[in-house]
Amino acid sequence: MVNTLAPETTERAPHPTRAAAGALGGRGRARRRQAVVAYLFLAPALLFFAVFLALPLGFALLLSMSRWTGFDLGDIDPVGLDNFTGLFADGSTFLTPILTNTLLFALGTVALALAGSLLVATCIDKLRFQGLWRTLYFLPIVTTVVAVGNVWKYMYEPGGLVNGVLNALGLGSVAFLQDPDTALPAVVVVQAWASVGSAILVLTAGLKSIPGSYYEAAALDGAGPGTVFLRITLPLLRPALLFVCVTQFLTGLQSFALIIVMTKGGPGDATDVAALEMYRQAFSHGDWGTASAAAFVLFTVVLAITLAQLWIFRRKGEDA
Amino acid sequence: MNRRRFPWLSYLLVATGAVLTVVPFLDMVMTSFKGPGEAGTLPYRFLPRAFDPSNYRAAVDQLDLPLLFRNSVVATALITGSVLLTSSLAGYALAKLRFPGRDFVFRLVLSTMMFPPFLFFVPHFLILVHWPLAGGNDLLGRGGAGLTVSIVALAMPFLVNGFGIFLTRQFMIAIPDEVLEAARIDGAGEFAVWWRIVVPQTKPVVVTLGLLTFVDAWNEYIWALLVSTADPDVMTLPVGIQLLQDHVDPTRTMPVVMAGLVLSVLPVLILFLLLQKHYIRGVMLSGLK
Amino acid sequence: MTPARRTGVIRPPTRPRGLSRRHFALALPSALLASGCAAPHQGTGRPGDPIVLTLLSHYASGELKAALQGPVDEWNATHDRVKVRTKAVEFTDLLTTFMVRQAAGQGADILHPYCLWNGQLVRAGVLRPAPPEHAEEIRRGYGEAAVGAASVGGEVYGYPTEMQTYALYYNKRLLREAGAAGPPHTWRELEETAYRTARRDRYGNTLVQGFGLSTYDDSTTVGQTLALLNAAGGRFVAADGRSTAIDSPAGRAVFGLEHRLVTRGASAPGVNVYQAFPSGQVAMVVGAGWWTGSLKSLMGSAYRDVGVAPVPVPEAHDERATLCTGFMLGVNTASRFPREAWQFLSWLNARKAGVKGASKGARATRMSTLQVSVGSLTGRADDMRTLLGAGGDPNLRPFLDALAYAVPEPNVPGAQQAKSLLRKNIEALWTGQQSVDEALRTTRRQVDQEVARSW
Repeated sequence: MVNTLAPETTERAPHPTRAAAGALGGRGRARRRQAVVAYLFLAPALLFFAVFLALPLGFALLLSMSRWTGFDLGDIDPVGLDNFTGLFADGSTFLTPILTNTLLFALGTVALALAGSLLVATCIDKLRFQGLWRTLYFLPIVTTVVAVGNVWKYMYEPGGLVNGVLNALGLGSVAFLQDPDTALPAVVVVQAWASVGSAILVLTAGLKSIPGSYYEAAALDGAGPGTVFLRITLPLLRPALLFVCVTQFLTGLQSFALIIVMTKGGPGDATDVAALEMYRQAFSHGDWGTASAAAFVLFTVVLAITLAQLWIFRRKGEDA
Repeated sequence: MNRRRFPWLSYLLVATGAVLTVVPFLDMVMTSFKGPGEAGTLPYRFLPRAFDPSNYRAAVDQLDLPLLFRNSVVATALITGSVLLTSSLAGYALAKLRFPGRDFVFRLVLSTMMFPPFLFFVPHFLILVHWPLAGGNDLLGRGGAGLTVSIVALAMPFLVNGFGIFLTRQFMIAIPDEVLEAARIDGAGEFAVWWRIVVPQTKPVVVTLGLLTFVDAWNEYIWALLVSTADPDVMTLPVGIQLLQDHVDPTRTMPVVMAGLVLSVLPVLILFLLLQKHYIRGVMLSGLK
Repeated sequence: MTPARRTGVIRPPTRPRGLSRRHFALALPSALLASGCAAPHQGTGRPGDPIVLTLLSHYASGELKAALQGPVDEWNATHDRVKVRTKAVEFTDLLTTFMVRQAAGQGADILHPYCLWNGQLVRAGVLRPAPPEHAEEIRRGYGEAAVGAASVGGEVYGYPTEMQTYALYYNKRLLREAGAAGPPHTWRELEETAYRTARRDRYGNTLVQGFGLSTYDDSTTVGQTLALLNAAGGRFVAADGRSTAIDSPAGRAVFGLEHRLVTRGASAPGVNVYQAFPSGQVAMVVGAGWWTGSLKSLMGSAYRDVGVAPVPVPEAHDERATLCTGFMLGVNTASRFPREAWQFLSWLNARKAGVKGASKGARATRMSTLQVSVGSLTGRADDMRTLLGAGGDPNLRPFLDALAYAVPEPNVPGAQQAKSLLRKNIEALWTGQQSVDEALRTTRRQVDQEVARSW
């Protein structure tokens, strides 16, 4: 309540004093006034970050090192690193298959989305009606995950579109989401399908920023299209590629909405990912400690992978 | 590159990709018109035998669509309104006011974008539960349900957005200081300067940020699922449709589910098609999708 | 949020200068925030007004919902001081709903948990032990398996309600067409019948499964396997409740049987058995008693093809055994009216009332009457004799008989996770990702770690 009302306080401050301060009362007072006003403008945001960012982080850290069975805040029982060791104990499913699933899911999504978007973006660059194509590729991005997940789940069913096409081609049906060997790839395809639009967008912008003179020079040298792509397009596209890679990886490592909708982690634990496991430990089994510990482990993984990507891309940049 | 010849291979590739993108949507629409026993049965048929609009009525009946729509609209409006307001206020301070700690605050805002949302599900929920003096809680946040039983809970964790502040600040920096200074000399307070001069000039960024926030808020699923579990009265459209899908025999109700999905996707899709330039610019800037 | 809850707490925006559009824009969010501060509706709390008890169950739709609402309406009509209001969610969401609402200080006064969760709920302090007189009433009135399911560490926590035993459903027509004389008694007969009845089309789409294996949810997936395990003389959790006993000859026999059925094409675990069996696409499947009710309403006249027999045993001379699972009605530790809640539960579960439509003088508890009306059973043998005595669905008989020899499902803390782990591993076994040995070993390692951690 406080934060939405804050700006009104500034407005109600009587104007004459303010004007007077600016005109007469030394620069120091005017500067102090402006500082106060600035912090009033920032108050809603800062208050929000205090309550919904700093406080939760501290709380989650506390929980990750506690056993908390009950629902009373007084019952929080510190246990040190037990929750973390429990996650990696013998017989725990957290490392395999859950964390490996998470990595495979992210890796698969990035690979598919990157390959698809690179292909489409370089082709779109030569076409007319680029806006129209882009709009079409963009539709999945503005669609709720519940719609995307359910439509694809239905298409994967024995009586659905995908198997209908397979049968029409004379191929046998595949129980995509029921077979653990195909379930994760099937979900990866959907995640990539849903995110390829924004990757195309970023890559198209990257392509447009490559000066045409490079291509002209290459044409004069008689370079073939393959050489041009490898020698000019790819290196100059590096910032855009890095951007796509990092953001898609981030999304892939932490998203589980699509998985909840399509498989709920099944069959077995074939599509169980870390964020989903965290959600379930907390809200189904009431094991808040393990859930928070899992969240921090995943956060560490996300951070490490992001930094590694930045490092690799920078090194390559220096080599070139 | 051979730009003069007609790029038939490119056309083929791009068109194939576009078909792959659009077909699921068409399948959704077609299925929503299928009659009972027509969906999910072998052999697969793309087109319905007869376009049967009754599924849409069934969706409205079975889903309590008015309630779901209301909740989705209120939550989305709260989030979008709050993000725009707080981003504009904070962005103005960071772009145009001089004060000690400005760089620190700006870096703080940037760092907030680093933390992934899954870190916060558990603590956010517990914080809302123990919100002091709400939902029967005492001053220490004990004894009641806190904010989890209100529609506000849907919006609370999304009311301020670090990226929104960043985006707005970058845009506001371009506004010339002279204009603001002139207004101040005329006796306008900072709030008046912000409201009368800065806000009207930032319309483009407001549209872009508003659209991005709107789409995200409308489509949000995980948090809404959690809050709806605590209090089904605040269930949103995505959660309600998923519930119907999970618990009713899919072969019979799939067309109804698809009809519900069409209805829930339509508002965003229309908005996107109308304002896609702004939206696409937003995605370019954020890249967070 | 109900309108009632919201009105009265919206603070009127106190603006001296009237509402301009800008003020409204700022006042709207704050008014909405203020409206969130309303207390959850828990009766009015004024003296003289009735106490309202909430009851949360998974009786969310159709005949189950109506069946529970009947006695609740009767109570509300005859009791002025204490009223009961039912709330329901689907079964797959029930545990999460208990935990989330409890965490949100919104837990219902009366809970209807699956007994499997009792260990977890007791450890988390959600369930209140039954007061002595009610505990006594429960121990006296119900069979051993039912009381065991409703107890944790020897203490009784609620009135057992719906009890499910597992038996073999079979399609008489499919068995007849394949030349089988009747339902199998031993595992060898079970396998032979399964291979004889299975059929596929040329694309590999399954037309008829000989023996259906459900992968629908934890309960049905694990239930069928544990029923076979118990029939083979095995147990899932060791007597001390701190480790699993699945890695045994009995466990190996069950995993081997299921593995053979899948690899030889008699089972297609990808197909939803709960849709396929009523459509005549499954010859045999192990399932719980509640299914008879759904099948009857789903299949109409085709229900006459459905037969039920006890779960087959490995060898003809083996003793019968199967799995027994169940629900109970317990009282929330957070309830402000535990005494009234227990009184209502005793009235619903232990007081006898006349049975509508039965012979004159026939009396049974309301819970038993309602369970039988939806094709389920309770753990009260006397009621079951009264209600199922004559007529009724003969398919319920095997389930009723099984109450005498069934093994209750273990309900130690962590039992739900243990069940999920078992499910993951048997599904991995069915899909060929694990061999029988691997599946047994992984299940043992994972369940031991999970169950030990939960204590």
